[in-house]
Amino acid sequence: MKQTATIISIHAADTSGVCSMLYELGGMVVVHDASGCNSTYSTHDEPRWYRQDSMIYISALTETDAILGNDEKLIGDVVSAAKDLSPHFIALCGAPVPLLAGTDFPAIAAEIESRTGIPTFGLHTSGMRSYLAGASEALEAVVSRFCTDALPRTDAPSANIIGATPLDFSVNGTVESMIDWLNRKAGFELVSCMAMGSTLDDIRRASAAHVNLVVSSCGIATAELLRERFGTPWVAGVPVGEKFSAVLASALKTSAETGECALPCADRDASASGKKLAIPGEMVFSGSLARAVELDLGTPCRVLCPLEAEDRLLAPGDIRIFDEVAAAEAFAASSGVIADPMYAPVCPPDVPFFRLPHEAFSGRCYRKESLNLIDRPLPWRF
Amino acid sequence: MLKLAIYGKGGIGKSTVTSNLAAAFARLGRKVIQIGCDPKADSTINLLGGDPVIPVMNFLREHDREPERIGEIAKTGFGGVLCIETGGPTPGLGCAGRGIITTFSLLADLKLFETYKPDVVLYDVLGDVVCGGFAAPIREGYASQVLIVTSGEKMALYAANNINSAVHNFEDRGYATVRGIVLNRRSVDREEEKVRAFADANGLPIVADIPRSDDIIRYEDMGKTVVEGDPELDVSKRFLALAQLLLDEEKTSA
Repeated sequence: MKQTATIISIHAADTSGVCSMLYELGGMVVVHDASGCNSTYSTHDEPRWYRQDSMIYISALTETDAILGNDEKLIGDVVSAAKDLSPHFIALCGAPVPLLAGTDFPAIAAEIESRTGIPTFGLHTSGMRSYLAGASEALEAVVSRFCTDALPRTDAPSANIIGATPLDFSVNGTVESMIDWLNRKAGFELVSCMAMGSTLDDIRRASAAHVNLVVSSCGIATAELLRERFGTPWVAGVPVGEKFSAVLASALKTSAETGECALPCADRDASASGKKLAIPGEMVFSGSLARAVELDLGTPCRVLCPLEAEDRLLAPGDIRIFDEVAAAEAFAASSGVIADPMYAPVCPPDVPFFRLPHEAFSGRCYRKESLNLIDRPLPWRF
Repeated sequence: MLKLAIYGKGGIGKSTVTSNLAAAFARLGRKVIQIGCDPKADSTINLLGGDPVIPVMNFLREHDREPERIGEIAKTGFGGVLCIETGGPTPGLGCAGRGIITTFSLLADLKLFETYKPDVVLYDVLGDVVCGGFAAPIREGYASQVLIVTSGEKMALYAANNINSAVHNFEDRGYATVRGIVLNRRSVDREEEKVRAFADANGLPIVADIPRSDDIIRYEDMGKTVVEGDPELDVSKRFLALAQLLLDEEKTSA
């Protein structure tokens, strides 16, 4: 069967991406879905849930409300809650039932904004796309609304990190290590990290940065928006391993000087013959890891892309995989696999499998095994 | 770009009015798209010489994939009118309203308006605003004005009133507004008086008065609109006058 997952997991859906991206920004996120579904979006996929407050709510949509198109109940509840909570913004997310009922979230958002005066976004989530689509749309909506002023560039070289969520980077020090690397190795001050460890006010100052570092493909739309609005160039890559971290630091400096965008994560050589190491996952991280493995360990790699990604994020030799059958076939043709442990059941026993948990794929199941690979020797030998 | 949605009771002549209006805009030199939003998928057939376009829902069902280019789900009819039909699910199954939303989403993905650059877009919508899907044509970004087609028949006026109320319910959402009534005569006793009373009670103008005409039926039997068949007929001139009125208003408001 095509496009099925009967053995392995599937990636978190777009709604989880919205919740994760907006978690720390002081906004109210309302998912229009049945009561109880918040645990899907925010508990299993969200390591911050038990230690950091956020305003993520479920509308408790009922069958009757869905049939009757009772939008007024949603609007009234959100307006009432917003008056109590005074959020910086309100984000409304759809789910499969509103998708089928044709709920018009942008129009409902406009009504809520007119009643509350609070910036409100209607997001096109449906549960049918991956977390990347939701995280991307949510961040772009916030930045579009709040980063409107062209501030003077900072005196010292500076950058924003765009696209950081626990779904891709867990909460294990990886993001802190990226910021430390940005400061000490790349020579850029951090303006904002979108969206972990920074406030909405930090993000408002994003236009003061000289360059943007996109660490997940969910950050590209926002980086493009900032480039169009303020002329800020962007570079896509995650500083994993030793040599690739240096390559990425150099690319950031060049980009800040020339104003040109760059995708060093997809700048890989496909000329090596024979079997390669397979790395399935989000393309900016996985592409960066593949290049780091090639540079640090000399092992040729190819990335398997199971998620939405622009063609420019795929290096020559990388392939798209749409289901577990394609993943199994690709693994069987590989010298080894670095992947989330939930991929292991479709990896042939004679192909070495190296575990690298990815929360967007396995949630909290393997959180204790998550690795921080930023600017340090890679832990594997092939 | 002039974007109109045509609503009215089932069987009242919406597709006839819409197709003739499309033909009239085309005769006035405008680039037109007509999108039929009815599972019956018969909105544009008289612009196409009786040779229908494959509805979008049928395309999805038959090909098990989304269309990759507009040409796969559109045909050019009289006067260069680009004809599209949403179609719908198998009768008795699925969700027709959702089909309309899905079609609109596909057309946006295919960048229909950006690539075709129409002067006029007409949405011919099934009967009543029965659910969210049938309100999709009046959402922001789609039609900005609604024409309600009615005769003097009681049930047609009842439906017209429901449609007008539904559109008013969306006032806060930036949806389309009702531009006026198209009186499509059905030889009802004191027909104009009844429709005018409804129009006046709701503060709506009657923007066109279409007489009952055997010529419409005669040309439809040939797979044509009457505006295509004989633009000199009185009934054709009514459609041409309505098209000109709407174009003049758009020019003034611009």
